[in-house]
Amino acid sequence: MSNIPIWPGSSSFAQVSASYYDLNIWPPPTPFGFYDSDSQFKTDANKVANFCALRLGYPIENVELQDINFWAGFEEATTIYGNELYAFQTRDNYLSLEGAPTSVDVNDDIVTPTFSTIVRLSQQYGEEAGVGGNVAWLKGRLPLIPGQQRYDLAAWAEAEGIVGGIEIKNVYYQSPPAISQLYSPALLTGQGGLGGVPPAGLYGFGYGSATYLMMPTSFTMQNMQAIEMQNQVTLSNYSFNIVDNIISVFPIPGTGVFTDGDGGLDYGIYLVFDFIKIQDRIDAAFANGTNKISNTSNVPYINPTYSKINSIGRAWIFEYTLARAKDALGLVRNKYSSIPIPGSDVTLNGDNLVSSAATERDALITRLREYFDQTSRQALLERRQAESVARVAEINQVPMTIYIG
Amino acid sequence: MALYGGARDISMFRRVNRELMGSIISEEVIYYKYNVTTTKTNMYGESVEGRNFADPVMLFALVEVGGTTSPVSDLGVDFSWPLTFKFLRDDLLSKLNEANQGQPFNTYQQPNIQYGASLHPEVGDVINYQNGYWEVDNTNATQFFMGKDPQYPYYDADGDNPLNTGLENFGYNVGIECICHYVPSDRLNIINSRM
Repeated sequence: MSNIPIWPGSSSFAQVSASYYDLNIWPPPTPFGFYDSDSQFKTDANKVANFCALRLGYPIENVELQDINFWAGFEEATTIYGNELYAFQTRDNYLSLEGAPTSVDVNDDIVTPTFSTIVRLSQQYGEEAGVGGNVAWLKGRLPLIPGQQRYDLAAWAEAEGIVGGIEIKNVYYQSPPAISQLYSPALLTGQGGLGGVPPAGLYGFGYGSATYLMMPTSFTMQNMQAIEMQNQVTLSNYSFNIVDNIISVFPIPGTGVFTDGDGGLDYGIYLVFDFIKIQDRIDAAFANGTNKISNTSNVPYINPTYSKINSIGRAWIFEYTLARAKDALGLVRNKYSSIPIPGSDVTLNGDNLVSSAATERDALITRLREYFDQTSRQALLERRQAESVARVAEINQVPMTIYIG
Repeated sequence: MALYGGARDISMFRRVNRELMGSIISEEVIYYKYNVTTTKTNMYGESVEGRNFADPVMLFALVEVGGTTSPVSDLGVDFSWPLTFKFLRDDLLSKLNEANQGQPFNTYQQPNIQYGASLHPEVGDVINYQNGYWEVDNTNATQFFMGKDPQYPYYDADGDNPLNTGLENFGYNVGIECICHYVPSDRLNIINSRM
């Protein structure tokens, strides 16, 4: 094989680009061709190749690279700049981006923060508190059997065709409210008290059975408190507990005075409770994300438009291109630890180039990330707040004059 | 097929050697190839009117300078100064050889290769170095990178190597050493006609 050409001192991106895209002559100017059609990229490609070659020692020394090596580094540097930029943008705005259509033009759009994701993230708390959320609370009705204290809720759920179990949120098993005992249950017109314990009778605390006299509210409250105290002292306490899907109710149903027409027990009483289906809770974690931004990988950022990158960004790209070129040159010179020369061998500076390039790349990435972080929304608001505080402190230095009107 | 020491690597080596010997060290010598056909000899095969040489060729070389000595013999005091000249073998090949051919740089720059002396060092040749002359006593061309000389791909009559193909593209015969002794200029038919 004849000698492989190396950097001759100049390049023509336009010519190589034309030969590849118009005449299909290998090689392409850049590996991916992301920016090959950008006129400013074309112009800067030659300049940055020359810049890198000069920084690497040309023309004093040979630079064993070709123009396409420099351009590959240039393309990579531009792409990495875009990656860092848009990764930062994604981090800064992801709460507002998640769930948005993947068709949005995030490269050029101005993203305004919204509460959409915050509200969605908070739904779980509302669901747990029973004041909203994304899991339905359902009502359950368990028939109470006279004399039976323990009931298997898992069996009930299975009988109801519920798969995956239930989670009890509320159990409505409590003593009748005092208000139901305030009026006499014996009113023949059926407009008396709500019944319940104690046994029906002319109970009516102070309001009679057929007619009553409107009393001051303080009097009514006293009566209700008296009823509650009476029930607490003289009657069974309504309570329950749930252990391993078994709910035990206190007092045992059927020990009260609910009777049917024949004087027997009233079988039409039920234990009512709120529950959620556990599967509903699991399912609530997922929503259809088709054509929507569902993770950081499908935020529709695309490579940047080189001509729109400002001088700050371009300077970074040039420096990063140089680091990549240095790395490539180091790898070329470092493939063999020593190069044979007549009667001996020499060691080139590949090691130094590679390590130096790695250090420079890391420093450049760190510098770029710090720069972006300093322009994050949070950082800018903090800076603005600090400026405001400083401004007030500055104004306070102005001597206060005494106004004489 | 071999894996390392391919033609691209060798191209890199060649370039580094030429940069090192040509641009950095830049040690030049003038090589006088002994011309057998024009040298008149007696019945014993000895030259009679002095030796004839081909036109001189300027080459880059790495010179290993030995120490001077003045051995005393029955004939008197002599002078000895051994030198070893090391040449990049590719520089001695023909300009038409692949090693001395360049590839166009993409589509817009043509190569500019200036090497290719078409010279085969042999015993009896003379090398001019710093106004002194050294006659070649021995040559040594056994420095092979990766232990392979691409001149020997071991092809059979059909041009195939059943075990390894393409061996002509691997390995490198790096240089040629010329081990020389000092020769007084009055013993040579060489006159320095130009500065």
